Amino acid sequence: MKAVYLVEGVRTPQVKSGTDLKEISAPYLGHYLIRHLMNKYEIPNTDVDEVIMGNTGTPAKYPNVSRVIALEAGLHKKTSAYSVHRNCASGMQALGNAFDSIALGRSDVIFAGGVESMSQMPLLYGKEMTDFFINMMKAKNVQDKLKILSSFRLPFLNPIIAIEQGLTDPFCGQNMGQTAENLAREFNITREQQDEYANRSHAKAVKAMKEGKFKDEILPIIAGSKLDKLISEDIGPRENSSIESLAKLKPYFEKVTGTVTVGNSCPITDGGSCFLLCSEEAVKRYNMKPMARFVNYHFHGLEPERMGLGPAMASHGVLKRSEMSMDQMDLIEVNEAFAAQIMAVQNVCSSSEVSKRWDINETIGEIPDEKLNVNGGAIAFGHPVGSSGCRIVVTLAHELAKRKAKYGIASLCIGGGQGGAVVVENLIQ
Amino acid sequence: MEYKNITFEVKNEVAYIGFGNFENKSMTTLGIDTLKELEDSINGIKEKANKEIKGLVFFSHKRGCFLAGVDVSIIQGLSSEAEALKGCERGQGINNEIEDLPIPTVALIDGICLGGGLELALSCKKIFISDSKKTMLGLPEVKLGVLPGFGGTYRLPRKIGLTKGMDLILTGKTVNARKATRLGLAQMKMPAERLMEKVEDYMAKAAKQKSKGIKDSIENLASDNFFTRKIIFQKAREAVLKQSKGFYPAPLKILEVLESGYSKNRQTFLSMEANAFAELSQTEQSKALQHIFFLTDNSKKFDKDQKYKKVKKGAVLGAGTMGGGIAWLFAQNNQAPIMKDINENSLILGLKQSSKNFMALVKRKKMTKDEFTRKQTSISPTLSYAGFQNVDLVIEAVIEDMNIKKKVFSELETKVKDDCILTSNTSSLSVNEMAKALEKPERFAGLHFFNPVNRMPLVEIIKHDNVSDDTIQSLYKWVLDSKKTPVVVGDGPGFLVNRILMPFINESAYLLEEGVTPEALDKAVLKFGMPMGPCRLMDEIGIDVLVKVGKIMEDGLGTRAKANQLSKLATEKNLLGRKTNQGFYLYDQKGKQGEVNPAMAEILPSNKVDMDETQIQLRVFLPMVNEAANILEDKIVDHPSMVDLGLIYGIGFPPFRGGLLRYADSQGLEKISNQIEKFADEVDKDRYNLSSFLREMVESKKNFYDL
Repeated sequence: MKAVYLVEGVRTPQVKSGTDLKEISAPYLGHYLIRHLMNKYEIPNTDVDEVIMGNTGTPAKYPNVSRVIALEAGLHKKTSAYSVHRNCASGMQALGNAFDSIALGRSDVIFAGGVESMSQMPLLYGKEMTDFFINMMKAKNVQDKLKILSSFRLPFLNPIIAIEQGLTDPFCGQNMGQTAENLAREFNITREQQDEYANRSHAKAVKAMKEGKFKDEILPIIAGSKLDKLISEDIGPRENSSIESLAKLKPYFEKVTGTVTVGNSCPITDGGSCFLLCSEEAVKRYNMKPMARFVNYHFHGLEPERMGLGPAMASHGVLKRSEMSMDQMDLIEVNEAFAAQIMAVQNVCSSSEVSKRWDINETIGEIPDEKLNVNGGAIAFGHPVGSSGCRIVVTLAHELAKRKAKYGIASLCIGGGQGGAVVVENLIQ
Repeated sequence: MEYKNITFEVKNEVAYIGFGNFENKSMTTLGIDTLKELEDSINGIKEKANKEIKGLVFFSHKRGCFLAGVDVSIIQGLSSEAEALKGCERGQGINNEIEDLPIPTVALIDGICLGGGLELALSCKKIFISDSKKTMLGLPEVKLGVLPGFGGTYRLPRKIGLTKGMDLILTGKTVNARKATRLGLAQMKMPAERLMEKVEDYMAKAAKQKSKGIKDSIENLASDNFFTRKIIFQKAREAVLKQSKGFYPAPLKILEVLESGYSKNRQTFLSMEANAFAELSQTEQSKALQHIFFLTDNSKKFDKDQKYKKVKKGAVLGAGTMGGGIAWLFAQNNQAPIMKDINENSLILGLKQSSKNFMALVKRKKMTKDEFTRKQTSISPTLSYAGFQNVDLVIEAVIEDMNIKKKVFSELETKVKDDCILTSNTSSLSVNEMAKALEKPERFAGLHFFNPVNRMPLVEIIKHDNVSDDTIQSLYKWVLDSKKTPVVVGDGPGFLVNRILMPFINESAYLLEEGVTPEALDKAVLKFGMPMGPCRLMDEIGIDVLVKVGKIMEDGLGTRAKANQLSKLATEKNLLGRKTNQGFYLYDQKGKQGEVNPAMAEILPSNKVDMDETQIQLRVFLPMVNEAANILEDKIVDHPSMVDLGLIYGIGFPPFRGGLLRYADSQGLEKISNQIEKFADEVDKDRYNLSSFLREMVESKKNFYDL
C-alpha cells in the first residue's frame, strides 16, 4: 500500500440553513475550494485524476454534483468525477475512496470532500402525485385525460420534505432525534448533562473563533442573492449560550419525557469542505509540503436505532487497521450529532463491559474531555450532512498542525446505523 | 466559365454557388469582382432554370463566415452620389434576379452574415442556418451612416414584419441563430455539418413538387392597417430622435424610405432605397463613421507572427470599485481572477461592483442567472498572496499614491514568477517613476482603464523607458481578447485621454467663473454631440478628484494647465458631485440629475454672462485640439488617429464628427489656430498658448491626417 498524503484541507464557513448561504447551491459550496488549492499549488490543470464529493440532498439539477464542481473549478475536462452518498459520512466516504485509489497506485492527485446545501433540499411530490402526472402524460385522448383528472385528490399535493424524510430511518422508523433519546435512556444521560455538554461546545467554539483558530481552514465564500457578500466566519456558535437558556427549551423529539432538545443537538447547516490528496510521487513532483498523512479509515455497522454509537465501533476498527491505540491519539474529533449520542460514545469507549455487546471484547479506549473536540463541534457549528465527514478531518488536521501534535482521530455517526472513522498523522513540525 | 472569387457547380440538377474559397482572410466580403461573377453565374442559371437547373444553393466554404457584407472600402471609395447610385442598382439587380428565379433557392448560413451578405440571403426563398454560436445575422449599415442598399430595407420588413425589421435596420444590431429562427428570418436551424445534406434532401423533395407561386411569401404584406402603421412610424421617429439627438441622418432616412415606400411596388421602393443610400453615403456623418470603422478595425489587427505571452491567469491587486470592475472583466472573459486587498471591506466593494456589472447584463438578457453565478463566483477574493506565483498578469488598482504603489510593486515582485506581467491602473502617476521600484522593469507597464470598466471600451497601455516590446504586445493582445479597445501611449501627465480631457474640463470651470451658467455650458456642449455636458461630467468624476488631477497637470505641463479655483472652492464646501449627491446639480436617490444645486450657485458669480453657443464650444474644444498637437509633438502617440480613437472610446467624443483631429482638419487648422491666438489675446495668454506643433502644421499647410 502506498502512502497517502493530505496536502491541505479547506472548508466553507458553516452557516445556518435558510440564511446567508441559502442562495448558494451545492456545487458552489465546493468549486471555489478546489480553485483556491489549484491557485496555490503548482499542479498542472491536466494532472488532477479525480474529484470525489459526498452529497446527500442531490439537487435535481446536479445529479452528479462532483462533475459540476470539477468543471466549475476550472479543472481540465478530462478529470473524472463522481459523487458518493453514505448519509452523514458522505464526505468521509469521499476521503476513503480517494485513499483507496491513491494507496493502490491508481491515482496521484485527487480532490475529495463534501458539500451540502441543506437550504436547498428539495420538496418532493408523493407517489400518488407522481403516478397522476405519469398517467396524465400517457393519456391519449380527452376522455382518458378527464378520467384521470377526476382521480385527483387534494392531499396528493402534500409535499414530502426531503430533509425530514432523510432524517428518519426507514428500517426502524425512528427519527434521528429519537435514536438519541434511546441512548440517553440506555446510558442514563440526563438532560442537565446534555445541556452542559452543549454549552461547553458553544463556549469552546466561540473561544476558538476569537483566537482565529479557523482562519487557515475557512475560505471566505461569496454569498447573498446578488453574490456580493463575503462570509468568512461560521455562523452558529453562540457567545451568549448559557445552561439556563438551554434548560428552557422543550424536548423536541419526545415531547413528554424526552431530554433531547434543539439546543443540545446539532443545527441544520449549509457548508462544504475539501482535501487535496496526493501520492508521495505527486508530493515530490509538485514540491508540496503536505499537512498530514492519511493513516487509515474504517466504516462499521450497528443497529439503526443506536446509530449514534457508530463512532465507537468505527474508531475501534480504524485503530486496529492502523495498529494503534486510542491513547496514542493527541486529538479526538467526534461529530456532535447529539450531546446524548456523543456522551454515549464516550461511555462505550471507556469500558469493555459495555462494548462487548457489540462483540468488542476489549476497551476501545477512553476519550478524555480535554482531547475531544477542542474547538467545539457540530452542536455549535452545525452539520451539513454531506460535508461533515470531511469537515471534522479538516478541523482535526489544522489543530494537530497548530499544536505540532502527532496523531489524531476523527469519527462520526451515520444515520441508518453506521459509524466512520479516520486516523491522520500530522506532518507539520 | 472560370471564376476566381466564387465557386460554381451543378450537382443533381442543383446549382451551388460557394463563397470564401479563394481568400485567406478570416472574413469573406463582397467585392466588385465577386459581384461581377455573381451576375454572370445567375444569368447562366436563369437561362437553364427549370430545364437543366432545378434549384440554387448559396453556401460558404469557410466555417464561421457566410458573407460579412460589402467591403467597406468600396463604400468609402464612392466619390459621388451618382457612383453610389450605380453601385446600389447593380447589387439590387443581382438580388432581384435571384428573387425572380422560378426555382427553389436556399442560402446556407454558418457564422457571420451581415449587410450585403444578408441582403443576398434574403433574396432566396429559404434560409437555413447553423446553430453555431458564431452565427450572427444583421444589417449594420446604419452604423456606417447609410442604409442597406441592396434591397435589404425592402426585403427584411417583408420577411419578418414591419416593426421587427425596422428595429434591426434602425439599430444595426445582429441576431443569433435562435433569435433569427424565432423571428422567421431563417426557416430551419441545424448543426453546421448537416446544412449541406439537409439542402440536398430539400432540393430532391422540392423537385418532385410542383412549384408554387414564387412571390407568395414576399408579396404577402403585413396585415396592419394604415392607422396603426402611422402610429408605428411616429413612435419610431420619436425614439430615433431621442437616441440620435438629430445628429445622425441615416435612421431618419431609413424611416422615410420605409414609410413612403411601404405600399409601393418593388421597383419604386428599390429606387427610393438606392437614392437614399447614394445621398447618405456622401454625408459628412457617414464619412466620419466610415473613418471610425477603419480606425477601430485597424486597432483590432494583431499580427499572427507577433511574439506575445498568453495570459491564462490574472490577478487584481486592490479591490474597491475600480479593482472590482477589472475583476469583472477577467471573470466575464472566463479568466477566473484572484482579487486581493488588505481588508475585507474593500473585497466586498469589489464584489459589489462586479455583481452590479453582471446584473446589468442579466437584466438585459445578455446573460443567464447560471452564467452569472459561474462567473461571479469564479473570482477568488483573498487577503493573501496565495496563488500569485501562478498568475501571468497582475493589474494593480490600489490608491493613487506613488510611495504606496512603489511599495506594493516591490513587494509584489517577490510573490510572482519571473515572467509575470505587472501593470498599474494609474490614471495620473508617472509610469517611469513607478518602474524604478521594480527589479525587472521590462515586464511592467501602465494599464489604464476608464470608469466604469464594463461600459468604457478604451484601455490605455502606457509605455516607459525600460519596457520590453513583448510586454506591450502581450498586453495589447490581452486587451483585444478582453473585447476592449487598446491604445498604446507614452508616459506623461494624464497620458493620452485625460491629458486632452483636462483642458476641456478646466476651461469649462473658467467659463463658469466668468459667469456662464451650468445649464448654458452643458447645453452648448451637448449640442456639439458630447454624451454629457462638462458640469455633469465633473459631477460624475468627482470634483475633488479633478482638483488632484488638475494639480498633477499643472505641475507637469506648466502655466497652460493652470488649475481653476472653482473646483477647489467646491471641494472645500464638500460639493463633490455624484458621490455626495451634491455637485453642480442635485441628484435624487436613484442618481437622476435634478436642478442646478443652489449651494453651488452660491459660489458661482452672480453676474451672469450670456455667451453664444458656438463661442462656448470653441472655448472648450479648441484647447483640446491645441493639447492634442502638444501630445503629438511629445510623441505620446504615433499618429493622430490614436488621438481620435482614444477620445471616441475613452470619453465618447461624438462619432459623427469622426474624432477630435478629424473634426479639426474639417474645420481647417488655420482657422483654428487663428481662433486660438485670438483667445490668447482676449481670454488668457497661457491657457491659449498656441502649440508650436500646430503653428508649424499651419505654416507648412498640413492637416493632422497628412502626418
